[in-house]
Amino acid sequence: MENIIELQGVNKSFNGFKLQDFTISVKRGFVTGFIGGNGVGKSTTIKLIMNLLQPDSGTVSIFGLDYKNHEKEIKQRIGFVFDENILYENVTLNEMKRIIKPAYKNWDDALFNQYVKKFELPLNKNIKNFSKGMMMKASLTIALSHHAELIIMDEPTSGLDPIFRRELLELLHELMQNGEKTIFFSTHITTDLDRIADYITFIHNGEHIFTKEYYKIEEEYAIVKGETNLLDRDTEREFIAIRKSNYGFEALTGNKQRTEEVFGDAAILEKPTLEDIMLYTKRGKDKYVESHS
Amino acid sequence: MLNLIRKDIALQKKTLIILLLPLFAYLFFGSSTIWIGVLFCIAIIMQGFSMDEKSSSNLLFNSLPYTRKEIVSSKYVGACVFTFLVLATIFMGNLIIHKEMIQLEQLLFTMSIVMLFISFAFPFSYLLNSQYLMIAFAVLFVLYFIIVNMFIPNLNDRIRELVQTALSFDNSLLYLIVVVSVLLIYIVSWMLSIRIYSKKVF
Repeated sequence: MENIIELQGVNKSFNGFKLQDFTISVKRGFVTGFIGGNGVGKSTTIKLIMNLLQPDSGTVSIFGLDYKNHEKEIKQRIGFVFDENILYENVTLNEMKRIIKPAYKNWDDALFNQYVKKFELPLNKNIKNFSKGMMMKASLTIALSHHAELIIMDEPTSGLDPIFRRELLELLHELMQNGEKTIFFSTHITTDLDRIADYITFIHNGEHIFTKEYYKIEEEYAIVKGETNLLDRDTEREFIAIRKSNYGFEALTGNKQRTEEVFGDAAILEKPTLEDIMLYTKRGKDKYVESHS
Repeated sequence: MLNLIRKDIALQKKTLIILLLPLFAYLFFGSSTIWIGVLFCIAIIMQGFSMDEKSSSNLLFNSLPYTRKEIVSSKYVGACVFTFLVLATIFMGNLIIHKEMIQLEQLLFTMSIVMLFISFAFPFSYLLNSQYLMIAFAVLFVLYFIIVNMFIPNLNDRIRELVQTALSFDNSLLYLIVVVSVLLIYIVSWMLSIRIYSKKVF
């Protein structure tokens, strides 16, 4: 399978934040959800992918091309949505379109109008009077009107009401039906991903934890619950992180099969949510840092 | 890059039309054309510049298929376009109101001052922010007044004299030297701005 985005051994540090030897890839033709807590490097990664930041070292390649020699070519083929409004506020959507349209060779007015109609966007109202949802729809309309192969979105669902979030996800789903599109988007509303993500890329503190097919996560990871007396130095090593209480323990394992073999019927294994995985991974990493410093 | 310049003009269309009125008023009352030209050029150019200073517009234009070089260059070329527009308007206005042509030297002189200003203001604003430029100018203005009041009471007259002498030089070689050196400064500033802007983090 072909990679549409590849970051190889990327290092980037600024303002006390660091991406270290960061390597990720995104597969062409799929939806990849990009998850991680606040301030772990999601936006930085997206900015590196968009060439808004340049890596200190390492390589970034999009469509197999590098930014140094093919910047405009790459950006012609990307549609982008950011979590903040990046459109001018004192112009109408129609004027904004006229500003952006000449930048793209493949701009399609018919497609633009189709989305404007679909989202019920006013063409002659100043963008500053748009609601948060409408601004998001406007950005999305612009991102989708030039037949981009790759759609990159930074927290597109944050601050949106549940109904529009659902609509957005349905729209993305539709987009994936017809053709060779790839969607890469970051979110911390992990339930959004249940509906559409094929792959999950998880990062924590500037470090790539995993990229996996969604269904495989359920096969590999499990929440384990049992009596505290099951835990000892050896069994504790099976887990990414453990939470103990008076009633027993709850822990996350990244090797479900092995855990099943070790504990048998003594412990209960449950399907983890992405949030469980994020939470326990964070705890596991913090503890690891503690015990090694 | 032409798209970006066209965008700046489109966005400032309203401001430009509104500014026509005071421009003609100034001309009508016979203020110095050099002074009006410099003032209007700088005001319009810096307004266009500050519009795109917000990090959101930087995000937008850097994500569109433009390079940082093109974004900076569009501002430098755009500044020349705006200067041309303003000077052409003043020229026409003067022709209509006073039925007289403005000397080429006066136009060149105005252009040189505007370009010198931009050569300083753009890299400064890319490095910090055009708001600091206002502060810097407020400080300079105060300093200027202190100097005028305390040391050289006739500074204004001296400057006026200097400008008059410069304009009355009948030496085209001298003009050529001035214009070429202003152009050189402008180009150096342009390159410097590209360097500063390409290292910027949004």
